Formats: sequence, C-alpha cells, structure tokens
Amino acid sequence: MSLSDLLSTSFVQHAFYAVTAVALAAGAVGYFVVLRRQAFAAHAIGHVGFAGAAGAVLLGLSPIVGLLVFCLGAGLLIGVGGASLDESDAVVGVTLTAALGLGVLFISLYSGYANATYSILFGQILGVTWDDVGLVAALSLGVLLVVSLSYRPLLFASVDAQSAAARGLSIRAMSLLFMALLAITTVVAIQIVGVLLVFSLLVAPAAAAEVLTSRPQHAVALAMTIALVSAWAGLFFGVWIGGPVSFWITALAASSYLGARLFDRNRVRHVRRALA
Amino acid sequence: MRGGAVVLGGRTIWRDASFVVEPGTITAVLGPNASGKSTLLNLILGLVPLSEGSLRVFGQSPRRGNRRVGYMAQSRAADATSTLTGRDYVGLGFDGPRFGWGRDKTKREVIRRALTLTGTAAFCDQPLHSLSGGQRQRIALAHATVFSPELLLLDEPLAALDLAAQAEIVDLVNLVRDSTGAAIIVVAHDLNPLSSIVNQVLWIARRQVRSGSVDEVVNESVLSELYGHPIEIIVTPRGRRVIVGLEEEFAHPHPHPHPHGFEHNEEAHQHLSELYEEETS
Repeated sequence: MSLSDLLSTSFVQHAFYAVTAVALAAGAVGYFVVLRRQAFAAHAIGHVGFAGAAGAVLLGLSPIVGLLVFCLGAGLLIGVGGASLDESDAVVGVTLTAALGLGVLFISLYSGYANATYSILFGQILGVTWDDVGLVAALSLGVLLVVSLSYRPLLFASVDAQSAAARGLSIRAMSLLFMALLAITTVVAIQIVGVLLVFSLLVAPAAAAEVLTSRPQHAVALAMTIALVSAWAGLFFGVWIGGPVSFWITALAASSYLGARLFDRNRVRHVRRALA
Repeated sequence: MRGGAVVLGGRTIWRDASFVVEPGTITAVLGPNASGKSTLLNLILGLVPLSEGSLRVFGQSPRRGNRRVGYMAQSRAADATSTLTGRDYVGLGFDGPRFGWGRDKTKREVIRRALTLTGTAAFCDQPLHSLSGGQRQRIALAHATVFSPELLLLDEPLAALDLAAQAEIVDLVNLVRDSTGAAIIVVAHDLNPLSSIVNQVLWIARRQVRSGSVDEVVNESVLSELYGHPIEIIVTPRGRRVIVGLEEEFAHPHPHPHPHGFEHNEEAHQHLSELYEEETS
C-alpha cells in the first residue's frame, strides 16, 4: 500500500481529526499548567486516569468512562485541597499514590487481555473509532470554549492570586475550574499519547512557548501551534516510517522545547554582546 | 473603623481598633511580624470578616472587588521568575477579573495613563523577571492604580528593596497621593523611610491597635504600654528617633538578675529587637 493509500484509510483519518482536537486543547490548557507550575498535578491526573480506565475495563465499561470519572474526581480533589498553590504538592502526591494503588488492584483483579492496559499507558491513536473522534472533538471544543471565555481571570489568578482575590475573584473557584479543564484535557490526550506520555502534548509545547514569548496571548497561540504541528507530524511519521505515533509526537514535542531553549540562549547571548 | 476586632480560628488577632482615614492622607500600619497588619488590609478588601465593632469603606460595608479600592499585594518570589510583561500585568488590573470575549476600547488609554503616572512606560514591555525590584514595585503600583482608586492599600511596598529604591517608591507613593487625592494605607515594618510622607500611624502590637499622628503614637509611654515592656526613644543629633526596648535590668533593677529572666521575656525581646527610627518634624 502506498503512502497516499495509507493516509486515506479511515483509521488514519480518524486519528487525524482526533489529534487535531486534542493538540489544540492541550496546547491552550498546557500554557496555564506551565504558568501555574502545576506540571506535577497534570502528571498525577494522568496516572489517576490509568486507575479509572483499569477500573472501567474491570467492570466491562468503556475505558473513557473510567478516565472521565477518575480524572475529574482527582481534579476536583486537588482543586479544593490545594487551592493555594503553596500547599498543592502534598495533596497531589497523596492523590497520585492512592490512585496508582487502586490501579494496581484493578489490574490484578482483571484476568482478561492486557492490551487495554497497554493502550491506556502508551496511547493507541490508530485504534480510534468514529465515535471516539466525536467524543474527543466535543470535549476538546468545550475545553477551548471555556478557556477562551475565562482566559483573563485564569491568567490573573495564576499570576497573582492575592490581587485577584482582592479584586473579587474566588481563588478556590478558579483553581477548581482549572483542574476540571486539566482533567478533561488529560482524558482526551490519553486517547492519543497515553498516560505516560501525556506531558508531550500538555507541557512540552507550552513550556517551549513560554520560553519564546512574554505575551500570554502569543504564548497560548504558540503552544497550540507547536502541539498541533507535533501531533500532525507525529501521526505522519508513524504512518510513513513506522513506530508508535505516541513516540513520534513525544519526540517532536520534546525537541521543540529543547530547540526553544537553545534559541533563547542564543538570543540572550546575542543581546548581551550587543549591550557590551 | 470603630471598636473593630478580628478573631480568626478562635484566636483574637487584635481588638479595640478605632481610626478614620481621610482622603489625600497617608496612613502607615506598623508593628511586629504576624501582628495582623495584612489582616487589616484584608478586612478593608472584604476578604476577612470583622468580629466586633464596625467598619465603613466609603460609607458602606466592605465588599470584595470594589473598584474604588486599589490593592498592591506583597511582592512575591513568583514575580522574579514571571515571564509576563509589565504591560500585561497592569492590564490584568484593568480587566483581569472579567470573564468573556469582550474587549474594552478604553483599556489601552487607561493603561497608558497608569504607566505614565508611575513612570513605567519605558520598561513595561519587558518580562517582569528581567526588571529590578524597584521597577517591579512600580509596575505593581501601576497595576493597583489602574482605576484611579480613592483608597489605595499597599502591603509592604518597601520590603526587599535597597535604600535608593525605597526612597524612589516613597516618592512615587507621595506623587500618587498628590495627583489622585487618594487615601493611602501603607503596611510597613519600618517607619523610617516613610516618615516624611506619613500623616497618621496605626501601630499594632500585642493584639492592640493604637492610632494617631506620628508624635502621638511614637512616644515612650504609648509604645511601652503597647508592647507591655519599657521602651526608650533616643533622639539622634540629626533629630531622628531611635526606638529601643530596655533590658530587664534597666526596667526592674535587681542585684542578681535571675538566669531565666531573658528566656522568660523572649517574645517581648523579639518584638523589640527591631529598631525603629523616626525623624522629628
């Protein structure tokens, strides 16, 4: 089968729509993850999702149901317990280990085919059905809509919680809103890259964008672009060259961060030389 | 505020606070660490309830998000690593709390005015982490004064600044008062750099609040009573007042000061170990 034949197959096309939706949502939410220094929370929610998916499989439900329930639950728990960013580390850590323990229990109870677990951990983008695409696209669109509507308050509460509270914003409510957005984004991103690689879309593009620009709106747009390009190129390389798509996406996203850091160092040196 | 008291988690922070802040005046809030200075600001912002007495802000009970009240939070370590530009941070003072897609056409002009007033226009497009501490405080002041507030609350604006930057910020605070006619309340741990512009002092110590002019509050009998420990004020040849706590032996002359005397009074000593200087007018 030629490359163009491969690209026109239905499973590649499903994958294309799914990665597009996921990359856009993950890029936008990822900016706030980086800004709030809550990468650890993003990491934990992914792993909590693993327990949820394993539990759902054990009960004979679709993994995405378990993912949604567990990720949202953990998000709300972290959002309430760690509303002040100072105290969130311990809350996140405890939530993470408790969920992972549950995940181990669910897997040991489940005697069936372990492939489901494998795809949750590492992503299974080429197995996405048309129904999955619909759900993923709807959730991603919802996330993007909420982020764009609450962009300013989210930014304010993330940058300067004290002043935001003085101006009447509820820090707890903003923290809950953010964690809910993060949970839903994590659920959809897990469909593509899996629990272990969720950072590749959620943190790496946003971290690269934050290095490259100081304007928040530019950074959000740039993070979404980097995530989208990584996801599209990753899918293309996976189909063309072979190897897991999630590997390609992770490698490209991580390279974008590395490239941004190198570019920034070069730029700083250049400015220093100009000033000297 | 009349007869105000704050109780948080069953602990009385302070009580019997009565004072009035007039427009166009600067009030300094002083006292040891953790004496409830920032709590006073949170009270005015409507973030903390008053347990006793009454507090009126422009004739009304304090409420959250009042645009007539500007607030500058204590500078945090996060500023030093923030990649946000000064202009974006000031912009959050304008429409940061607002949800939705709408853009306010007056935003650009309002922000330009705040940047001009605080002298920050030249460096407002640089990321906050690349600015000096004094520059960051100027940006924070622009953020707090975006709506030309009639009451401006500043929490430790001079903390972690060198002497030159402190003087710069004090001048700026004075300028803001003169050009906007706002009433300004400044929380500080040291009266000295502020003394030239302060009209009123609120001194919080040992759960009490004393208010009055600098002369009324910064004298030996009032401070001794506040701290529950004898205080001596030394006037330097240039007319500055240095506030010191007296050692146990001076306070209660005793031929053999017992060995536990110091430990016993450790808390009072801690309060008094800071020196407060004050210029006489």
